[in-house]
Amino acid sequence: MTFISRRDLLKRAGVVGAAAAVAGPDVARRVAASNEALEHQVAAGAQASAVPGREPLEHLTAAESDTLEAIVARLIPTDAHGPGATEARAAHYIDRALGGALASSRQAYTAGLAALDRYARSSRGAPFAQLSQTDQDSVLIDVDTGAATGFTGSSAVFFNLVRAHTWQGTFGDPYYGGNANFVGWDLIGYPGIRTIVSAEDQRRLERNELKPNHKSAYDTDMFNKATARNMGQRRGDGEGA
Amino acid sequence: MKSLCKVAAKSAQAILLLGGAVAAQTAPQQIVVGSPAITANQPIPKDYTADGRNVSPPLEWTNVPASTKELAVICEDPDAGNPPPFVHWVIYKIPATAKGLPENIPFEPGAPMPASVAGAIQGVSGFRRPIYRGPAPPPAKVHHYHFVVYALDADLGLKPGLSRVDLLTAIQDHIVGRGELVATYERK
Repeated sequence: MTFISRRDLLKRAGVVGAAAAVAGPDVARRVAASNEALEHQVAAGAQASAVPGREPLEHLTAAESDTLEAIVARLIPTDAHGPGATEARAAHYIDRALGGALASSRQAYTAGLAALDRYARSSRGAPFAQLSQTDQDSVLIDVDTGAATGFTGSSAVFFNLVRAHTWQGTFGDPYYGGNANFVGWDLIGYPGIRTIVSAEDQRRLERNELKPNHKSAYDTDMFNKATARNMGQRRGDGEGA
Repeated sequence: MKSLCKVAAKSAQAILLLGGAVAAQTAPQQIVVGSPAITANQPIPKDYTADGRNVSPPLEWTNVPASTKELAVICEDPDAGNPPPFVHWVIYKIPATAKGLPENIPFEPGAPMPASVAGAIQGVSGFRRPIYRGPAPPPAKVHHYHFVVYALDADLGLKPGLSRVDLLTAIQDHIVGRGELVATYERK
């Protein structure tokens, strides 16, 4: 089972993709360089077996990372329709952001991931990452509906937190560490940030023939890292990366 | 005055007769509902709750009316919900030939139903999903779970995604048999 039907996902992700468009220079090149190894896998069809090995973690522990990787893989799964949150490196985005824009959520991740894994062990007999996909989906439904035990408050709060960050990591601007190789934008058919849209571009877009430019907002002259920092300070809410 | 009394008496007689006729028409036959895994009035095994695998329990039934064209099952908890009951499961369009529901009805949207209940559809529960989700009550209070089976006298062409209320509204004039299995669960 896909935890969220792909049709629902794409419907909801359209909003996230549009928001991501609002997000300075050479970023795509930086991301592309760091993602070179992944590119071939995604182009080859993003099979589940092509999941890359663990890369160095910035804030999560190895155990937390294993659980988080397994969660995001079920929230936006890799399947016959294409790559998912694993290939987009959504967990990498979260790990990195927990030391920055999402720092206020660090404690929630520590407690929530531990609670989810305890719940998986007590109810299904194994750590979450080791359960079958069906059992993982079943656990996530219980967490989503607030039926899971062992959380501080409702488990649904933690589910919503991880789901929101998984969407950010899959459909946000690659500058922030997710949406690797633009797989998220390709998934929803988002053609990329453009500062100029010609009439011909518009016509192609309407015919679904506008090719994605695979550029980060930070590849345009209008944006740069200083802009991003200033925006983050003005917002001051710690979220929205 | 005397004639008024006569009219009143006749009206009352008519109402009583009509009431009796309606009762005869609507009193559903008692279906006997059981389960190889759940004992009536006893705690539901963890596998069928959110503290376990949370799969749907096996149910079985007998004494279904001969006129049954299809069946429906609702699992509800009258000790929860706002307003009660809290709904744990809605499944309908179960073939009249079915003698029960096997364990672990699939929750994947595209997964086929077991052959014995082919064509059955799951409606929306209190968890906002068209699947079975078992007991997950707040701790320190015993909750009662009613697995209610309805036998219907017509193929009603019921659409997917019905809630308990939608379903009961659609079937209210077609219930020819009804029975239930009640079991409990408490989180410590």
